[in-house]
Amino acid sequence: MALQILIVDDSPAMRSFIRRVMKLSGIEVEQYFEAGNGEEGLAQLAANPIDAVLTDINMPVMDGEEFVRKMRADGAHQSTPVIVISTDATTHRIQTMQELGAVGYLQKPFGPEQLRNELDRVLGVGHE
Amino acid sequence: MSDTAIHEPAAPEMDALIGALLHSCSEHVLETMFFAAVFEAADPAASTGCERVTSRLHFSGKPSGDFEVDADPGIARALTAGFLGIEESEVTSAQEDEVMAEFCNMTCGSALSSLGCVEYFNLQVPETTRSEAFAPEVEGVRRAFLLDGGTLSVCLRVDFDRS
Repeated sequence: MALQILIVDDSPAMRSFIRRVMKLSGIEVEQYFEAGNGEEGLAQLAANPIDAVLTDINMPVMDGEEFVRKMRADGAHQSTPVIVISTDATTHRIQTMQELGAVGYLQKPFGPEQLRNELDRVLGVGHE
Repeated sequence: MSDTAIHEPAAPEMDALIGALLHSCSEHVLETMFFAAVFEAADPAASTGCERVTSRLHFSGKPSGDFEVDADPGIARALTAGFLGIEESEVTSAQEDEVMAEFCNMTCGSALSSLGCVEYFNLQVPETTRSEAFAPEVEGVRRAFLLDGGTLSVCLRVDFDRS
């Protein structure tokens, strides 16, 4: 199954890198949706059918914590998988994001294999 | 959040640990996300007074501190091309600024996450600048690396006392 992926990151370069790594990983993506912060991410979620969300934490306007919190408070998106992509791999940060509702966590730096493994894990290996 | 003090090693041991982490984390970030190889260590003082592209950030938390990266302009361009998967001739200054900031963010975050005595941290948005005669602004543990076509150095200061 080709996926509809939402990438939430304030860096256009990082969003471009994630798309590139997704392609290198062999994951079949039907369409990418992008947002520069959590507020834009919520708008994309409201307007489009999304299979999985990849989100940064440190962003202007609305950060990743608030984004995931509001996403989970919305009944329509309580089960949409969220993978956090961050440089911060401290126990404190990972626990916080998991408590808010993230089901995956990918620490930068990462490559195609790590991204694919994490997506396979949260979506189920048979998602293709 | 716990108020328990962070137990860090003595200063010389901590500097050695940070130096080793800067080396391993920089190498890992460069190879994994920038598709660039580190050939060997270089002289950290050699970039002073030279034309460099620099990115710096401050981090707060337990502990707080600062991080700085500086690179030959040609290395900044090559890393940007590698990160974005484009030709060096297509790279813009804005893209260079953004990608050097990403390198700064990733390497600092990776080193802090590996340090072992970091409770939590918040990275501020890095700022990228260019100078004809680079002068380091962060006084901390500095390591430099020879890449294909130039050098890149990183410097981390961890302020346990000010946390």
